[in-house]
Amino acid sequence: MSLSTIATHRPVSPGLTAAYLDWLQMLTGAALILFMWCHMILVSSVIVGPGVMNAIAGFFEFTYMAQLGGPAIFAVFLVHFVLASRKIPFRTAEQKVMWANAKRLEHKDTWLWMVQAATAMVILVMGAIHMWVVLTDLPISAAKSAARIQTGWWLLFYLCLLPMVELHVGIGLYRIAVKWGFVGRKDRSGFKVKENSITYIFIGIGVLTLIRFMFLAVK
Amino acid sequence: MARTLRFNIFRYNPRNPASVAHMREYSLGETESMTLFIALNRIREEQDPSLQFDFCCRAGICGACAMVVNGKPGLACHTKTKDMPGEISLMPLPFFKLVGDLSVDTGSWFRGMYQKVESWVHTSKTFDPAAEEERMDNELAEKIYELDRCIECGCCVAACGTALMREDFLGAVALNRVARFLIDPRDERTEKEYFDVVGSDDGVFGCMGLLACEDVCPKDIPLQDQLGMLRRKMALAAVRGMLPKFLRKD
Amino acid sequence: MQIIQTDLLCIGAGLAGERVAIEAAGNGFSVICLSLVPARRSHSSAAQGGMQAALGNCVMGEGDSPDVHFQDTVKGSDWGCDQEVARLFVDGGPIAMRQMAFWGVPWNRVVPGEHTYYKGGKPFTAIEKQEKEGLITARNFGGTAKWRTCYTSDGTGHAVLYTLDNKAAQMGVEVHDKTEAVALIHDGETCMGAIVRCLKTGELRAYLARATLVATGGFGRIYRESTNAVINDGGGLIVALDTGVAMLGNMEAVQFHPTGIVPTDILVTEGCRGDGGTLLDVNEYRFMPDYEPEKAELASRDVVSRRMTEHMRKGLGVKSAYGDHLWLDIRHLGEKHIRHNLREVDEICQSFLGRDPLYQLIPVRPTQHYSMGGLRTNKDGAAYGLKGLFSAGEAACWDMHGFNRLGGNSLAETIVAGMIVGGKVVEFLAGTDTVFKTKCVREAFDAQQGRIDRLLAGQNGAESAYAIRDAMFDSIMVGAGIFRNGRDLDECVKTLQVLHERAGRVGLRSDGLGANPEQALALKIQGMVKLALCVAYGALMRTESRGAHTREDFPERNDRDWLSRTLATWKDGADLPTLHYEPATQTFEIPPGDRGYGGGKIIPMQTEQGR
Repeated sequence: MSLSTIATHRPVSPGLTAAYLDWLQMLTGAALILFMWCHMILVSSVIVGPGVMNAIAGFFEFTYMAQLGGPAIFAVFLVHFVLASRKIPFRTAEQKVMWANAKRLEHKDTWLWMVQAATAMVILVMGAIHMWVVLTDLPISAAKSAARIQTGWWLLFYLCLLPMVELHVGIGLYRIAVKWGFVGRKDRSGFKVKENSITYIFIGIGVLTLIRFMFLAVK
Repeated sequence: MARTLRFNIFRYNPRNPASVAHMREYSLGETESMTLFIALNRIREEQDPSLQFDFCCRAGICGACAMVVNGKPGLACHTKTKDMPGEISLMPLPFFKLVGDLSVDTGSWFRGMYQKVESWVHTSKTFDPAAEEERMDNELAEKIYELDRCIECGCCVAACGTALMREDFLGAVALNRVARFLIDPRDERTEKEYFDVVGSDDGVFGCMGLLACEDVCPKDIPLQDQLGMLRRKMALAAVRGMLPKFLRKD
Repeated sequence: MQIIQTDLLCIGAGLAGERVAIEAAGNGFSVICLSLVPARRSHSSAAQGGMQAALGNCVMGEGDSPDVHFQDTVKGSDWGCDQEVARLFVDGGPIAMRQMAFWGVPWNRVVPGEHTYYKGGKPFTAIEKQEKEGLITARNFGGTAKWRTCYTSDGTGHAVLYTLDNKAAQMGVEVHDKTEAVALIHDGETCMGAIVRCLKTGELRAYLARATLVATGGFGRIYRESTNAVINDGGGLIVALDTGVAMLGNMEAVQFHPTGIVPTDILVTEGCRGDGGTLLDVNEYRFMPDYEPEKAELASRDVVSRRMTEHMRKGLGVKSAYGDHLWLDIRHLGEKHIRHNLREVDEICQSFLGRDPLYQLIPVRPTQHYSMGGLRTNKDGAAYGLKGLFSAGEAACWDMHGFNRLGGNSLAETIVAGMIVGGKVVEFLAGTDTVFKTKCVREAFDAQQGRIDRLLAGQNGAESAYAIRDAMFDSIMVGAGIFRNGRDLDECVKTLQVLHERAGRVGLRSDGLGANPEQALALKIQGMVKLALCVAYGALMRTESRGAHTREDFPERNDRDWLSRTLATWKDGADLPTLHYEPATQTFEIPPGDRGYGGGKIIPMQTEQGR
């Protein structure tokens, strides 16, 4: 409770900034979700065959979508982080309060938000590394990806990043839907179940893809 | 049936310099149809007359007895012990200022909230005692009442991670109040005026969608739907000016 | 000593208190409301049923008028009311309801077309008129000739209280919640405010006011089985009685509600019966039509309560661990009606009993519900005996209820009386100035501080306030319950006198620091016993049966000797109230007659026609 803010006679107009930023946070989030789905289609196509993946990658290359889109996605990724991090507690006192609340309440959606905040930090670092590595070594090809995954710690890297991203994407989609009222009270639990299954399926596909890369013959 | 219940109750009296915040244990024999109202009164009368807690209507109508029962904010008066494990922990609601033990000061915060969101009908008309009342569709009246059912117990803000982190956040109760006036044709406030009240990070854009409010509300008020509706409405209001003219509604 | 000054001090921030406060604030006066709880938690919020006002919009209310409402009210009061006041009330009703609509109450409205309603458990259809569409509609309530109870679903009190408190917030009415008035500041002639204990810190403060309003609601908590909220302990009446000059009227007129649930005594609204709920006994037999062929479950609530007790005394009640009870049956009203229109009833059954009223019967028994008596005022709401002291709502004996109030009349009274008394308080504030005598303030403050200090030091004795309260509960339910008789009342008064003396020797078991609950009760228990004595002694002396006051040894309503109002004052050092009497009403629009329900003989007014 703050007396300083409740003692005003007429509310001072807050301006439109908060609204714009909220729009942007949602739109960048939605864009990244869409991108991640497309991304999954691209890489998982290797399961069908390295040729299919190379063809799709070639298409992106040929249309300059990879060269321009890649950095653009990187930018959107950073903007989304900055916008969403306005809600993430960075001060110790706030973190403590949030932890205490989540532990006390044992409330699933509150915990999901904690997961979202934690995965965000991991994705920021690992996602950035991934994007740097990929975008500095265009064009994308099944062989290059496979080579990377078969060297050093990269398999572990992706086994870690994959669930982080899928969790973040899944929870993010759910959050957008309930926050903006696209999914109402009646459909909430049903939507949550569907959303969970999609997350698991995507993680499954991702693992399969990694396995495929693992055993793809590297020339 | 006849269990002996163990209560772990938060104790602290800010007016006693010797008092230290701690959990104290009480044992009580369970009786039929026992609620926390019955249990706490028995503890006070039989074991510890200094124990502070609030009850008023004891019928789930007034919202006075909200407290944290085994981690969850809820109304003590309609918490039946038969639905609870043998060990029950009771804490005061977080977020609000502590009066002592399980009693908190909700009144001051709520009166501040009324002023913040101007929780009243804004009208330029004056009441004419001789005139027939203005007509209203019964369905609309019931819709307004549906949102007016809030009992201001404070559970929604006490369970809200956002409110706990950012004390200026309006919380579901205030946003629901705004939604109530928004659908009431007697309130002449414009969309812009409502935006000025809730269109900030202290208002609807601060909501992170944790939905603990929705899940703890003892009156089952459709908070999720109200928060979603408000967010869309306010967000659209902010960009309406950018839309080409033929797309603008107002 | 912290001193706070204001034009109007409202003790109590329920509907009546806030309505008066709004009137004063709207006319430019400063107002502070004191309240034991945040204003919106006041017991007004628990009134589910509705407010009576003769709007006559719904088809079953056609032909209604203040005159018809007046007849119902006077009959309901068993001719114990002040007819001038009843007239003011019924005339003000429609205006007050419309004003509430204007301020934001979402009253249920007329929906034109054919509807199925229930009367006495039987469905019938009626067609609501097209031209009335969207006007405030009404439901049926006991003891009325027309359907005139305005409502908002099952939360009328809640909706109106929230609207009023919104209005109060808009008008800048200050509410100091978690405070309790422990004494009035006065010099025997003029009231100058109150000494108040803060229930957040335990500290005492002095509030100086040109006008002081007592609007603390009922005093049901002197009974163990009461539908009243736990805050309804008569605090405002105690401080008034303690002045020695203010008078309490008709304290023996206590109403019992037929349908308090067992065991928690939570009220389920009369709307249940109004909408067609029926009462069943141990054999699930509907017994009310046998006693009251015409009105059955819809007879006024004193009659229904008495018939229920009578039926249980025949051994036809349902035995339970908490004593006998009867069943309320609303199963036939259907899922939509129960889950929607009677949602709060549904919630109460599910949350507090673990029963589903759609499939199961609801255990009910008569429970203390309403105090017709209270701080006696004139028709302007000004208290007898002290200038600058006013009262409104259930706390007041304004007196439109006489010996029995009709369901829906009391909730309506809060805002109608609030409106009328508010106007008079404004007149008073505009035309009168008060001298605040610092000596009176200091003495009143010191007296209360001294009481607290002695209590904390354990100088009075070591009696337990809880033990005294429990003994009072036991005593008053036997003596001054639904049925009363001279022998039990005599016993009750004697027991209470002993308790009154013991209450002077209360000590604390806890440290008493801060907002200590034991201290709050200890400071109040003697006052509560005094109120109980006013009830029991008044009931003992009133040797007739009238409305809710039922003497087994004097079953007749005696208009020859008792068409009067009991007035109680408390002299310093006494252990019994001093009783006086005044005529029930100065003017008669309707001469005393038969109520048409409840049975019983009447000894008429004129002595030559008497027995």
